[in-house]
Amino acid sequence: MSGYQDKIKETAKRLLKEGSVEMVIGFRKGTLPMMNEPCFIRRPEDVHQLVWDSNCGINLANYLTDRKEKIAIVAKGCDSRNIVTHIIENKIKREKLHIIGVPCQGMVDKRKVAALCAGDIENVTEDGDVLTVTCQGAEKKLSRKEMLQENCTLCIHRNPVLFDELVGEPVAEQTGIDRFAEVRRIEAMESQEKWQYFEDLLAPCVRCYACRNACPLCYCPTCFVDESKPQWVGKSQNPIDIRTFHFLRAYHCAGRCTDCGACERACPMGIKVRQFTSKLNKDVLEMFGWEAGMTLEQRPPLDTYKPNDPNDFIK
Amino acid sequence: MNLMEHMGIEPGRLQFSWISSAESTKFVEVVKDVTSSVKALGPNTTYKKQAVKVA
Amino acid sequence: MAEFEPKIVSFLCNWCSYGAADLAGVGRMEYPPNIRVIRIPCTGRMSPKFFLSALAEGADAVWVSG
Repeated sequence: MSGYQDKIKETAKRLLKEGSVEMVIGFRKGTLPMMNEPCFIRRPEDVHQLVWDSNCGINLANYLTDRKEKIAIVAKGCDSRNIVTHIIENKIKREKLHIIGVPCQGMVDKRKVAALCAGDIENVTEDGDVLTVTCQGAEKKLSRKEMLQENCTLCIHRNPVLFDELVGEPVAEQTGIDRFAEVRRIEAMESQEKWQYFEDLLAPCVRCYACRNACPLCYCPTCFVDESKPQWVGKSQNPIDIRTFHFLRAYHCAGRCTDCGACERACPMGIKVRQFTSKLNKDVLEMFGWEAGMTLEQRPPLDTYKPNDPNDFIK
Repeated sequence: MNLMEHMGIEPGRLQFSWISSAESTKFVEVVKDVTSSVKALGPNTTYKKQAVKVA
Repeated sequence: MAEFEPKIVSFLCNWCSYGAADLAGVGRMEYPPNIRVIRIPCTGRMSPKFFLSALAEGADAVWVSG
């Protein structure tokens, strides 16, 4: 992993020096442990800020929307798929981008780590598969593999799809994982049970819209929740309004979501926001054989018409 | 639509059909059909904002 | 209480089902009075916002017809 970091710095420095890009988007250390933050580097002397470790879960494609300058961006598998989606949706031009692909081995879920530590986490270092966490003066060794974000354990596209250069050898993709076990578990429930499940799931939601802000797909100039004439979704804490918000947000991601997990990571209440989008991902895969962001060649199923599109639901 | 059912809204609360402007008989048929199926389903109690209670 | 009479919000396409409804009216055909028709310029105008707010505001069902 640290090899990646040096390579990223080196590449960023080179690109900025030769002037082929105006800005590099990457990660730097956050003010809290396990919270790397996005950073925008415009001068070659600032590249030392760049880091790469297992806490780079934020989706950087989010910062590309409607940018006009030449940009180099650090992209892991899911980021690169979101960049593809951006290009398809004309939100950024391919020529304006220099993608520094990073083969990814999953990002660590800070909640899982925090749950195992009493008190605040003071420091985290990693070496291969071993995470060393310091909290309240005591050190603790954890297995990185077991601390991964849920979407990372279910990820089958760890290597970037689209890139100008890779910082390391591609990693082996995970095989034989059941990505939709959780969705199927809910599908098997009765309507009443499902209703209750989502009622409980959404009960802690405070409508902060962190999931929306973290999501690279959510770039509408005016989000439907901010519309007031007409107002489709109430702004209150009413459970129906909360449900409508999550519901519509998920619909907007249909056929576009790459399951990067940014929404879930951003949620301050720890709600499994991915429950909604993973159902749609499953449906889109089953109905149209489509996975978002895999190719620039093909239009996504929801903006094309094919005579054999499924239409059993129409009377 | 699948997501709706996935979230616990009963199947049948949302229905789709396709009727040409010349098919008035089909229109009547479908209206009857939709109405009777919703009658069988009963009133919508879950996905509904409760009226604001004023103390 | 009398038999349950559902409120069904119907989104009808101007060129298809709305025309069919018009024709049904011209032909004096009878159909249940439970539907509340909203004319949309095309079924493509339909959006999840519409049926969700219809249900939330108290409709018993939503019917979309192209």
